[in-house]
Amino acid sequence: MNSTQYYFNTFGVTGPQLEELTATALRHGGDYADLYFEYTTYFNLLLKDGVVSSGGFHTDFGVGIRVLKGEKTGYAYSENTDMPDMIKAAKAASAIALGTTGSLNYAKVGNHANNFYPTADSWRAKDAEDLLPFLTSLEKAIVSKDTRIIKVIARLSDSVSDVMMYNSLGELVCDTRPMGSVTATAIFQHNGKTENKTVSRSFRHGSEMIGQSLIDEIAQDIVEGIDARFEATRPKGGQMNVVMGAGASGILLHEAMGHAFEADFNRKGQSIFSEKMGMQVCPKGVSVVDDGTLMWNRGSGNHDDEGVAGEKTYMVKDGILNSYLHDRISAASYGVRPTGNGRRENFRYNPIPRMRATYMENGDSDPGSIIASIRNGIYVDEFSNGQVKIGEGDFTFYVKSGYMIENGRLTAPVKDINIIGNGPQALSDILAVGNDLKIDNGTWTCGKEQSVPVSCGMPTVLISSLTVGGE
Amino acid sequence: MSIITEKEKIIAHKCVEYALRHGASAVRVSLNKSTNDGCTILNGELDKVTHAADRSVFIYIYADSRYGTFSTNRLSDAELEEFISGAIRMVKMLGEDACRSLPEPDRTAKDAVTGLELGLYDGRYLDADVQERLDRAHAISIIEENAVDTAEGYTVLSEECEYNESFDDMYLIDSQGFEGRHTETSFSCFSEITIADKEGNRFSGYWWDMSPEYDRLDFQECGRNALQKAVSQIGPKKRRSGRYRMVVDRNVASRLVSPLINALNATSIQQKMSFLEGTKDRKVFSEGMTLKDMARTPGKTGSRLFDSEGVSTTDAPVIENGVVKKYFVNTYMANKMGISPTVEDISRPCLMPYMKGNPLMSGEKSISLEDILRYCGSGILVTGFNGGNSNPVTGDFSFGIEGFAFSRGKITHPVREMLITGNLTGLWNNLTAVGTDARSSSRWQIPTMAFEEVSFSGE
Repeated sequence: MNSTQYYFNTFGVTGPQLEELTATALRHGGDYADLYFEYTTYFNLLLKDGVVSSGGFHTDFGVGIRVLKGEKTGYAYSENTDMPDMIKAAKAASAIALGTTGSLNYAKVGNHANNFYPTADSWRAKDAEDLLPFLTSLEKAIVSKDTRIIKVIARLSDSVSDVMMYNSLGELVCDTRPMGSVTATAIFQHNGKTENKTVSRSFRHGSEMIGQSLIDEIAQDIVEGIDARFEATRPKGGQMNVVMGAGASGILLHEAMGHAFEADFNRKGQSIFSEKMGMQVCPKGVSVVDDGTLMWNRGSGNHDDEGVAGEKTYMVKDGILNSYLHDRISAASYGVRPTGNGRRENFRYNPIPRMRATYMENGDSDPGSIIASIRNGIYVDEFSNGQVKIGEGDFTFYVKSGYMIENGRLTAPVKDINIIGNGPQALSDILAVGNDLKIDNGTWTCGKEQSVPVSCGMPTVLISSLTVGGE
Repeated sequence: MSIITEKEKIIAHKCVEYALRHGASAVRVSLNKSTNDGCTILNGELDKVTHAADRSVFIYIYADSRYGTFSTNRLSDAELEEFISGAIRMVKMLGEDACRSLPEPDRTAKDAVTGLELGLYDGRYLDADVQERLDRAHAISIIEENAVDTAEGYTVLSEECEYNESFDDMYLIDSQGFEGRHTETSFSCFSEITIADKEGNRFSGYWWDMSPEYDRLDFQECGRNALQKAVSQIGPKKRRSGRYRMVVDRNVASRLVSPLINALNATSIQQKMSFLEGTKDRKVFSEGMTLKDMARTPGKTGSRLFDSEGVSTTDAPVIENGVVKKYFVNTYMANKMGISPTVEDISRPCLMPYMKGNPLMSGEKSISLEDILRYCGSGILVTGFNGGNSNPVTGDFSFGIEGFAFSRGKITHPVREMLITGNLTGLWNNLTAVGTDARSSSRWQIPTMAFEEVSFSGE
């Protein structure tokens, strides 16, 4: 962990200057103001056609200044930390308080120190020469796994963000956030057919994360199930039982309920869950959490982007809607403590409620017996993307691979199908929850107005009726 | 008018100078500067005011047959030179790739001198103050007149309106002497309305409008259309799975075109990630499908005189009567694949009108959504896509949809929680009609379209 002075030096500011900036931001009578300083370095290498022949690095630096008056937001930023430019941004943000009525009590949150991503080797200390052999070794390992592979595309990207947050309540929080991501795509050709498979891993780790074990894991994952992919067909579409395999199926939670639990949608009355706090939304025994505390997880944060400590938040506890996901605005509006979900893409954006790592806790069913209980249905285990309509609660997710279930057994492989359902209905249609919770560590990125890294997870779950795309 | 100053143009030239001094054989620099101002109104009251100003350089470095891409928003002289020397050190560590080069100078644009040539700039951006922008955002709101409408059987739960103005200025130069400028303003309004029917079921609708010129925005229509879209969805039904005629509304039609554009990109083809590999000059789609890149139309969003390499754009067919006429080939891919370069990507795709079996309707006459519904008779009108994806290698797709069932050319009831599944080549071979009603506010000029024999999954 860096010292506080490191962050003051990085951003070239002093304590009295921070106070002057928040005072300027509140000059028209805002309830609360905060400053978000950020310095991020990005680095990437790309291997194509057997050579790491492109790459680069990028630097982003600036400060975002926010003023809150009631639930209203004024936001501006500066790409440098010269006082005249920051004062100009503070004045622009302060305008929100002009002529607006209503106020909220923004209280101190009593932060504590967290360390969810201790880092052994900073990415910033590495150059291309250090990292390049990882990609070439990864490519070799992948190619050696299957003679049908004709191309490999592999990317290594990392970032390190120094952030310093200060607010008009006098709270100062600093953090350095690492992120390393590896994505590999293999193109297979066999008997005139072409298939592709992409595998990724992403962690809030330093460069110690890249090594032989990661290479072996990705190479193995990329060839696993590829035989079935060549044989896969489209099922006959329609409503059916769906067994969600452990791991990436957490996308169901992200789309079907996570977004609708983000408190801004509820505060504005837009979410289908707006009036369901304290009500039963899932069968008894089902608990769903959004967690910012998983060690080295892509969605974790020692503090969120409003300086609130990361925590584990039960959205649903034993089937009952327990908590929305709050930023400071919605927390003040609902009169509760913020849950550490105020996140932003970078200093150019104001924070809004966002998910972190969203998963369902273990149930008591054996995954094998869940599949065995299905006469006709579908089992899905690999996904690429999803979407939700907040008002209606209709969600979809795209299935890259899965199997038909016939008489309790996995049979014909299927691929490239979309599945659609309605959030509240799907949650109440959960019939069984397995005891095999798995967090998926892929490069999941959520795109609600701004992009933020997230992750998801789930044990094997049976849902009685979803609509499956098919021919 | 521009926001990039002469002093900032010198910064771009210094980047070229520093790169060459530290060992680059060639370099391209893009200096981008933009400002954005926005106001959001929630339920008739101001909710958010934002002001943004960005300035950064992107530096594309070629050194010792190697290549790298870099960017920074730290633009002081000393920091830039150190940044660029570090960039060149990194490039020299990368693998050799002799195919990397700047485009031949005779391919670059010579007519983008001021940035104003395409008429995409409206000076009213700089004239407006915070209060004026706030007034414009309020002008989108219709909540007072429709807050509770029991007569119509619904209640408005939420109305969110947003007004945005942006000003983007780009100065692109390279070490071979190319200089290009693109300046563009954009004014936009957006409305999203959530309602509840008598049973408490929620429905939402949104609408937006965007233009490089302030006077072409329609504020009131934005709110009204959002409300109408929400209200029209009351009482949805699922339909039985089956094959139906599909009409795709102009507001979402580009969703079915974008996978084709991706598949026509040489980068996808070279990496074996395209289902359109080997289709150049072959008839692949319905004869009624003609897609043009109208890159140089003055005053239209999406028009540009040069691509990201500085290569001059052209107005040209991409697919003509179902025949693939053009791949998008940048300089690197041209060298690598041994084919002629074109442009890096499409600028402003325009799908031409068509009605199968009725050549007279494919000419100048306007073809509306109503014309196409009448022509198709019965089927499903898709007005929104909900998720889904397509496989770039096979063209297989599956998308969630919402919309309306129609019969005898008239809409009968809303449908939702349905999916369409198929293959893009097959789908586009079943194209039966293309309208003339593309929205002028869109960069992608894709009108209402109709297809036959589309597989829908529902009940």
